[in-house]
Amino acid sequence: MKKGLKIFLIIAVLGLVTGLSTVYYVFNKPHRNVEDETPSYTMDATALYSEYSNDEEASNLKFADKVIQVNGEIAELSIDGYQVSVVLNDEMEGVSCALDSVTIDNHKSVIDALKLGDKITLKGKCDGFDMIMGVVFTRCFIIE
Amino acid sequence: MKLKYILLIIFTGSLLSSFAQKYITKTGTIEIYSETPLFIIEGVNKKVASILNTETGEVVSSTLIRSFKFEEALVEEHFNENYLEAHKFPKSIFKGKITDYKKIDFSKDGKYDIMIEGKLTIHGVTNYIKEKGSLVIKNGEISAKSDFPVSLKAYGVKVEPAYKKAIKDDILLKIHFDYKPYNK
Repeated sequence: MKKGLKIFLIIAVLGLVTGLSTVYYVFNKPHRNVEDETPSYTMDATALYSEYSNDEEASNLKFADKVIQVNGEIAELSIDGYQVSVVLNDEMEGVSCALDSVTIDNHKSVIDALKLGDKITLKGKCDGFDMIMGVVFTRCFIIE
Repeated sequence: MKLKYILLIIFTGSLLSSFAQKYITKTGTIEIYSETPLFIIEGVNKKVASILNTETGEVVSSTLIRSFKFEEALVEEHFNENYLEAHKFPKSIFKGKITDYKKIDFSKDGKYDIMIEGKLTIHGVTNYIKEKGSLVIKNGEISAKSDFPVSLKAYGVKVEPAYKKAIKDDILLKIHFDYKPYNK
């Protein structure tokens, strides 16, 4: 085989490998790690709710898509297999949090022991404001 | 307070009746599914709220676009930022009714095929829809399901020409609400 052709082939193969692995990486880009992310805000569920009910648009600009740590009292609990939902402060005028499946697996006993009125701190991604659910959080992790 | 006022308006009709019955869920699910030979898109939203008034057949449901979760982070990002534009249109709302609610006896266990019609708002665009669904009443709780396609074009969701083959225009929505009595 000619030397030139050989070099060309090596470069071609290397290029292909780099290209493919880039595509693979981009496609399998990991989800945002809410658990390790430092919260942009740490606040009380009541304070967050009142900011949202006063000005939803401004609050969305400030909070939506951000990781926020909230604390409050459990006003409603719904545990159903892989769906655990905790509502803080008020059934309809509070913060409604859907727990991440990772935290559900790791804190099974803590979750089973949760009851209404418990004080809890959660960290999760703020999705926005809903007329029935109040402020909605998903991918939530139990802090304490 | 504002919120309770809104809910009062929604159910003005039922307020007139002392036997008003409302059912609620805040953990309803909507799955979205699209399959082409090139690409399968599967997403799920488990934070869907809905209220059903069995006196009038009225249904209201709402959810946030950002609550949809996808296996691939990239798909989730594109879904929110490029397609549904969650920063501009953060929520999706349905307001309508079960057309044939009068045939349903909500006081005892049973299964029914139902028709649902009303206004569905996605991506800031509202369309009138009429779809089939099913309803199961058991031990005073109501489980409602409906599967139907929505057209991306009809809701102004733009797909780049390069992805036209990978993403179908008709996206299947699978809706499942487990309502519980709401006594407030």
